[in-house]
Amino acid sequence: MSAAAELLRGAGLVKRFGGIVANDAVDFAVGEGDLVGLIGPNGSGKTTLINVLTGHLAPDGGQVVLRGRPMRGAAAHVYAAMGVARTFQLTQLFARMTVLENLLVPGLTRPGSTWQAVARRARTTLEFLNLAHLEQLHAKNLSGGQQKLLELGRCLMLEPAILFLDEPFAGVHPHLRDGLIKRIQELHSAGRTFVVVDHDMESILRVSQRLVVMARGRKIADGPPAEVREDQAVLAAYAGL
Amino acid sequence: MTIGMRGLHVYILLAAAALALVFADRLSSYWMHVAIIAMFYGILASSWSLLAGYVGLFSLGHMAFASIGGYTSGLLVQWYGIPIPLGMLAGIAVCCALGGVIGWVCLRMSGPYLAIFTLGFAEIVRIIFATEDDITSGMAGLHVERLFDTPSRLPYFYAAFALLAVSLLLMGLIVRSRWGLFLRAIREDEQAASASGVAVARFRILIFAIASGFAGLAGGFYGHYIGILTPSLGGLDFMAVLVVMTVLGGMERLPTAVGGAFAVEFLLEILRGYGQWRLPLFGLLLLLTMRFARNGLLAPLWLQFVRLGESPAVTATAAQDVPQKEPGL
Amino acid sequence: MTWDYVFIQVANGAVIGIIYALIAVGVTLIFSILKIVNFAHGDLYMLGGYCAYYVITLLGVPPLGAMFVSMAVIFALAIILERLLLTPLYDDATERKDEYGLIVTFGLAFFLRNVAVMVFGPFPLKPPSFIPGVQRLGGLVITNDRLFAGGVGIVLIGALLWFMHRTIWGQALDAVSQSRESAAIVGINARRFNSVAFGIGAALAAAAGALIAPIFSLAPDMGVLPNIHAFVIVILGGMGSVGGSILAGLLLGEAENLFTAFFPDPTRALAYTNAFGLLVLMVVLVFRPQGLFGRRHLRME
Repeated sequence: MSAAAELLRGAGLVKRFGGIVANDAVDFAVGEGDLVGLIGPNGSGKTTLINVLTGHLAPDGGQVVLRGRPMRGAAAHVYAAMGVARTFQLTQLFARMTVLENLLVPGLTRPGSTWQAVARRARTTLEFLNLAHLEQLHAKNLSGGQQKLLELGRCLMLEPAILFLDEPFAGVHPHLRDGLIKRIQELHSAGRTFVVVDHDMESILRVSQRLVVMARGRKIADGPPAEVREDQAVLAAYAGL
Repeated sequence: MTIGMRGLHVYILLAAAALALVFADRLSSYWMHVAIIAMFYGILASSWSLLAGYVGLFSLGHMAFASIGGYTSGLLVQWYGIPIPLGMLAGIAVCCALGGVIGWVCLRMSGPYLAIFTLGFAEIVRIIFATEDDITSGMAGLHVERLFDTPSRLPYFYAAFALLAVSLLLMGLIVRSRWGLFLRAIREDEQAASASGVAVARFRILIFAIASGFAGLAGGFYGHYIGILTPSLGGLDFMAVLVVMTVLGGMERLPTAVGGAFAVEFLLEILRGYGQWRLPLFGLLLLLTMRFARNGLLAPLWLQFVRLGESPAVTATAAQDVPQKEPGL
Repeated sequence: MTWDYVFIQVANGAVIGIIYALIAVGVTLIFSILKIVNFAHGDLYMLGGYCAYYVITLLGVPPLGAMFVSMAVIFALAIILERLLLTPLYDDATERKDEYGLIVTFGLAFFLRNVAVMVFGPFPLKPPSFIPGVQRLGGLVITNDRLFAGGVGIVLIGALLWFMHRTIWGQALDAVSQSRESAAIVGINARRFNSVAFGIGAALAAAAGALIAPIFSLAPDMGVLPNIHAFVIVILGGMGSVGGSILAGLLLGEAENLFTAFFPDPTRALAYTNAFGLLVLMVVLVFRPQGLFGRRHLRME
């Protein structure tokens, strides 16, 4: 964990589904300005961890502390209001709403927001993502890569302090992928905090300063990428697949 | 045509409404009755589209709320002799409260589960109204005081018109506000909506309460117009007719839902010669609509109508369904 | 109130429970393959009853034979309806399939119910008994028709289990219910099984309608409550389990009959028995909001 102030912490998080323990006492902390890569084999509990950390699942044990405030089972929209944004493993847009409307929704949930200001900000965001020419299209008509970008844009409209990106590179055309990585890097240098989950080690290593590795519901490594790559437990987890 | 003509459809609708009001007294008593019933269904269809079309909550309990609104008002007026408008307000209040409770209880349900749950609720309400006959007179029907002390239907026509207009105005304001956007977001994807900061549970409860309130209003008016209420008002057949109306017109917009109600009620009268065959006929029409024109028969017409005053260039780029900041309904 | 009365109610409850289970098994089967909740199932049950009635009275076929004729007719009718109305459900281009299945089956129910009113008339009809007379066991009296309905119901459910377990078609159905993609890979034409599942489910409902007709009578709206009861059973019985459906069917049949028997006000007992079943449904849904078959494939135990 970096020296910066702590933004979000999950302490001893446990989540079970029936008999399966998806998260087994996971400690996970993110500091202001971090760019964390979260990796692990399929079924290692990464998405569950994100769901718990963003309020979409209530943990069976442990707690989430956001900006020093214990969240105690708050609903996901409360997290969103406190600056926690996320994307989904399989893109979840408002399919039969226009590209612009997809961005208006999160923008207008901000207290004190006005239509005009939010619409202006949405158009700026669309330009940043190279989607401006598509603003009147229904979201379902976008390509897979464009949908991922739009989902990122929807996160940005919350003016989030931290963004959780769940497999942002999966199924994205390599050309768009480079664009996406560039956007993430730009946003990060502008002060946003990121947690990026992916299988794509190459992309993850290009962006992240810190790697967290999960296997079988537990965190097995946490540190600078160079160290983690040499870690015996990590190698074992991946080889043991 | 110039872009300055945008919103032409609003003026056309206002003109049509004015004409209807001015020439209402020329309608025969029979067709006036048809118009009044059509407006009653108009309130129900539009408020149901708020639930089923905008938020995707396919409630089969909507007519039950109309029934509750009607009985509440009718009984309160009968027992305590309160003024009828006050009784109707009480009916609305009861429906809002009960609608909110139902909305809260079924928060975690979606699609067919919510439909089954609300169907169960509706049937229980119907059974209670039919069985507690020392209070409701059961299947014999509850005699309800009429709103106006006159044999003429004209005052009822104006009242129904006013109620429908006010209801549509309020609902129109809701769907055009940011709430409308949030409601559609919830319909598309609840999880994504909550990740975007939308308080999903709060809005689901709220919209259930609001829609049920409008149903209660319609039911209250119906009772005080017809003068008698039977439990079948909240039954499955009335609910099915409401579904037919709303889906036929187009359940995802208020004007098309109302149009569907008007059209079906009108057709029901035109086809009176076919007696009870009309019901299966409309069932068939519903099936055909679902099969071949999912968005409703009036939806494409409405889109054309809305674009009447626009220049072709604007029309070409406006792939948009629901413009955000236009006035009117 | 004597013990005999209670025993009679228990016996009646068991018979009704088996009939409920027969309807519910069809709902389960259709859900597991087509992934829709069939709101028109009760109306196929109603049609089955009427079909048997007319086969008996017009063609002079004995009641049991009429039941099989009715099953065959409704099987065919159901497949036609499925081909005409439900094929969009298998098309990837169709959006909001839940909503489509819901409105279409709800509309179909409305359509069939009102066609029945016109064709068969609104007044109750009663076909002749399967076997006239009653059986006495001490103070316990039960009509032969009820015994027969229960017995045939059990045999039909048994036949379905045998079909699912021991025949290639049944195994293929099971495969489709677990995974359409995998079934397609091993060369099973999943589309054909949509028709088969819908047809079999409907035929079982038709049998239930034919069995119940001499006990209660036939009426166009007779399917409404059994349809809801089928939902209760499927939810209670849990997740597409046929065994669970039978158990839940018996449980509900018993609960309702005893509720009627012990309800203090006999004039209201019957009405509130139905309300009681609905209340059970609502309560179960509150605790199992995705309850209907949380597991999406069939389990035959």
